[in-house]
Amino acid sequence: MKRNERGLLLLMLVCGILFLVNAAKAQVYLPKAPPEPSEYGKVILDTYSAAGPGGVVFDHWLHRSMFTCRVCHVDVGFAMQAKATGIRASTNREGFHCGACHDGKKLYEGKPIFPACSDAVSGSDKQCDRCHSLGKKGVRKYEYKDFVAKLPKDMYGVNWQVAEQSGAIKPLDFVEGISVKKPAMKSREDFFVKSGYSWVHPIAFSHEKHVIWNGCELCHPEIFPTAQKGTTHYSMFYNIEGRYCGACHGKVAFPLNYCRGCHGNGPLWAP
Amino acid sequence: MFFARFFPPKFTANVVAVMLLVGLTAPCGVRAVGLPQSSASQADQAKEAWQKEFDAVRSKTQDAMTFSEDELTELIRRCDALLPQIEKLDESRRKVYLGRLAKCRGLYAYVLEAKKNEKK
Repeated sequence: MKRNERGLLLLMLVCGILFLVNAAKAQVYLPKAPPEPSEYGKVILDTYSAAGPGGVVFDHWLHRSMFTCRVCHVDVGFAMQAKATGIRASTNREGFHCGACHDGKKLYEGKPIFPACSDAVSGSDKQCDRCHSLGKKGVRKYEYKDFVAKLPKDMYGVNWQVAEQSGAIKPLDFVEGISVKKPAMKSREDFFVKSGYSWVHPIAFSHEKHVIWNGCELCHPEIFPTAQKGTTHYSMFYNIEGRYCGACHGKVAFPLNYCRGCHGNGPLWAP
Repeated sequence: MFFARFFPPKFTANVVAVMLLVGLTAPCGVRAVGLPQSSASQADQAKEAWQKEFDAVRSKTQDAMTFSEDELTELIRRCDALLPQIEKLDESRRKVYLGRLAKCRGLYAYVLEAKKNEKK
């Protein structure tokens, strides 16, 4: 091998190593693989209850089949950030947070919704375990597999949009005593968000699909604060960090790995 | 009649008259005696007044895009006017209602800003 060839080979080797190192760094910014559908959107509430009846396991899949996101995160007032709501047994008893619906009086499909943190039950009562179920087996009333058996699925579990459109679920957007009657929103036009890369399809954003679940005030201004078009740079990096679309997608709504969910046909290699 | 057996008719008539009088004046008496209840009721009415206004303001969020700049400014003013009332509530109620109000006011302010930007 000639000296020039050896030098060239060495240069190529160095370039290759540099490429691999950068690629490995870039991996950090790729969306993490979502957990199992039964675990997706699971929230553990244990700020105050860990020492008492145990942590609460809240499954989004159970509640979103019955209610819109807006009812809980706007009308009832659950924060979108972890540990920001300040749920306590006392606030539930006062009719806030979980107690807004779980008061033993409000009905869902004609049946009373069991009371949360009721004074009537003792700490050892099995009723506490329905919510305070962290680390306890066989105490939950609903299991994911059975509950979603008849709902339409895609590669990441239940396709909630199709479930709602097909009438398989009818999420309520009103809770008596909490919500206010509103006229149906006049649908806003869909729009396209251009991609920064030629190999990625633009996003066809549907206001209509999002408004059904979120109304207006869940997204604006908290998640999308800018009111002037074209002034905010949206990026997958921000989404992965939980900002903008990532406030829901990747946590509760379909994961960021599902490129075609937003980017039409998506890149060739993408799911 | 039961009274007629044991009492003279005039006495019976008097008893009936007194009972009628007591019966008719009872509502006034309850009102007069029950002043604390009355003020509690007024407090409830006052509470309902701000809650009604609160519900009226937040019932329009779905239509926010259809409002003019003046209408949106007025809605924001009404949200701000509710703030002192909500600040008076106990801790848990205050937190919940402030959260609801912030979302509602935030949306109106957001739409107002968007409308102003459209004009530029």
